[in-house]
Amino acid sequence: MEKFEAAFNAIIEQDLKVEPRDWMPEKYRKQLIRQVSQHAHSEIIGMQPEGNWLLRAPSLRAKQVLLAKIQDEAGHGLYLYSVAETLGITRAEMIEQLHKQEAKYSSIFNYPTLTWADMGAVGWLVDGAAIVNQVSLQRTSYGPYARSMVRICMEESFHQRQGYEIMVQMSFGTPEQKEMAQDALNRFWEPALMMFGPHDAESAHSSQSMEWKIKRESNDHLRQRFIDRTVPQAEYLGLTIPDTKIKLNKETGHYDHGEFNWDEFWNVINGNGPCNQERLDHHKKAHYDNEWVREAASAYAAKTESSVA
Amino acid sequence: MESGDKVWEVFIQKKPGLAFKHVGNCHAYDKKMAIQNARELYTRRSEGRAIWVVPSDQIVSVPLDDADAFFDPADDKVYRHSTFYKIPSGVKHL
Amino acid sequence: MNFTFESNESKFLLRIADTSLILAQRLAEMCSKGPFLEEDIALSNTSLDLFGRAEELYKIICRIENDKFEPDELVYKRNERQFYNLKLVEQPNEDFAWVIVRQFLHDVYAKEVFTELLKSENSEVVGLSQKVLKEIKYSHLHAKDWIERLGLGTEESNSRTQSAVNHILKYIEEIFNFDDIDKTYLSNTAEIESKWNAEINAVFAAYNITRIEVPPLSMRDYRDGFHSEYMGPLLSVMQYLPRAYPDAKW
Ligand SMILES: [Fe+2]
Ligand SMILES: [Fe+2]
Ligand SMILES: [Fe+2]
Repeated sequence: MEKFEAAFNAIIEQDLKVEPRDWMPEKYRKQLIRQVSQHAHSEIIGMQPEGNWLLRAPSLRAKQVLLAKIQDEAGHGLYLYSVAETLGITRAEMIEQLHKQEAKYSSIFNYPTLTWADMGAVGWLVDGAAIVNQVSLQRTSYGPYARSMVRICMEESFHQRQGYEIMVQMSFGTPEQKEMAQDALNRFWEPALMMFGPHDAESAHSSQSMEWKIKRESNDHLRQRFIDRTVPQAEYLGLTIPDTKIKLNKETGHYDHGEFNWDEFWNVINGNGPCNQERLDHHKKAHYDNEWVREAASAYAAKTESSVA
Repeated sequence: MESGDKVWEVFIQKKPGLAFKHVGNCHAYDKKMAIQNARELYTRRSEGRAIWVVPSDQIVSVPLDDADAFFDPADDKVYRHSTFYKIPSGVKHL
Repeated sequence: MNFTFESNESKFLLRIADTSLILAQRLAEMCSKGPFLEEDIALSNTSLDLFGRAEELYKIICRIENDKFEPDELVYKRNERQFYNLKLVEQPNEDFAWVIVRQFLHDVYAKEVFTELLKSENSEVVGLSQKVLKEIKYSHLHAKDWIERLGLGTEESNSRTQSAVNHILKYIEEIFNFDDIDKTYLSNTAEIESKWNAEINAVFAAYNITRIEVPPLSMRDYRDGFHSEYMGPLLSVMQYLPRAYPDAKW
């Protein structure tokens, strides 16, 4: 055991990757399962707010782009479930944890999408924030997780662009469209920033996670990177960031910002956001309504697949 | 119930002539479904021209405990690498 | 807007384009509602193929009609009675069996139609058909494999599939009431019908599905823009934004 533990510590220290068959501390495994399954559930639940506008997309092009984008998110969820499965938990178990509310997902997806401009804001801000986080996670210490992030980031590259493209259309469109764009920014700005999690000082899992190099950069650090990138993009659109304290700090080179409504953050995380119930119900319904399909596939396989039983 | 749900490892050949590369896995209940699911998941962006799927539980790997016994003995066989040999300068095509 | 079509070819292609569009929209409804993730992604893929197919066909139609209108106008500005899709593809996603049965019945038909269109005098149509036939071959295989699983799987899956078939079969008859326009562009309509029947009968028989006898129906033809009641709600959702904001560009 000591030999294995030393090997694990050496891997972390030398910035190498831990692989599924390697020995790892039980807490490392648990922490990873928690983070990766939460990430997977976020991708899957995240299909719903955009799905709300999928059937109403206003052009043939927009329809195909949005469907391909939501489909990618399903794929991301799937890659991440696969990663978690290498740690000794099954997809079925993870879905059960989601349904029992034992596993969480990003609180951003509990906000409703109210206009077409929200499809812009989600792609631009939510995928934008996710990308900042996921690029950083390409250097995570668990090999399968790191590799999935490389693949996911490659696929994500069009997600934020398609969102920003919608924001451009809306911001430079009719006055009504511009109003929708500003409204979407107003509603999604703060929730998007809170996607990076609580301030470093209040983040329960952060320091151990950083030591094990599961997380490579702190919440506040990543959040600041996102703000610095995004504020000029909002300026280009002629939209106003809904935070009067947003200002470029000449000394630090970063944008200062106001404090967020953390009470709301925790309340939404704890199940009391505008759509928590609906998101979960939607997922459960799709899962249980289709149980007979999975049973049929099992029964059919049992009858016909003797060679790989 | 749902016992037929299995994990399959997916290997993709990008184009003829290249080796198949492990790209990840997918769930499926039978062989035909496995190859189709692999296609939906891993070739949406023209990533491949051929696919293998293998039930994950059919893959045999070296036990972690034996890894040093399996692999370390190769480390001192430097004579298997071309850089081990000194060739006079000026001699070509070797 | 005035949506009269001068050319018989565009009238004919519009039937296929509308059928592709409406089926694509129905399949898009399945996004995040599939029986498991892999199949969810598969259904989206088929939907994307169909949206792409519809778009290409609308572009060809617009060119034939001297760009009197644009593809998006055809999608978003026409009313119910100006759509010419098979009623088959309007039918709702009652459950996964409906989705699969509808797809299978459609794909067997579409395969025959696009095979015929390889002989078209319009080179754009030929080019598109070559591409589309590959998509249909895959989607057809996928649907057929599911018919096999559901037909032979469990008692419940068999009876759900049977019930989907029983409902959906009544939208088949009109497909084969080919009119003169169809016959101009499809050289052998009798063969399309007989091939369709042969495959459906063989597959149903192999997987324990009964093809019930459908009595002759008093149903008006899709070629004249007649629909089932499911069409209206589908369109009102699909067309909402461009109709609510007629001045906006998207
Ligand atoms: Fe994603
Ligand atoms: Fe994304
Ligand atoms: Fe993500």
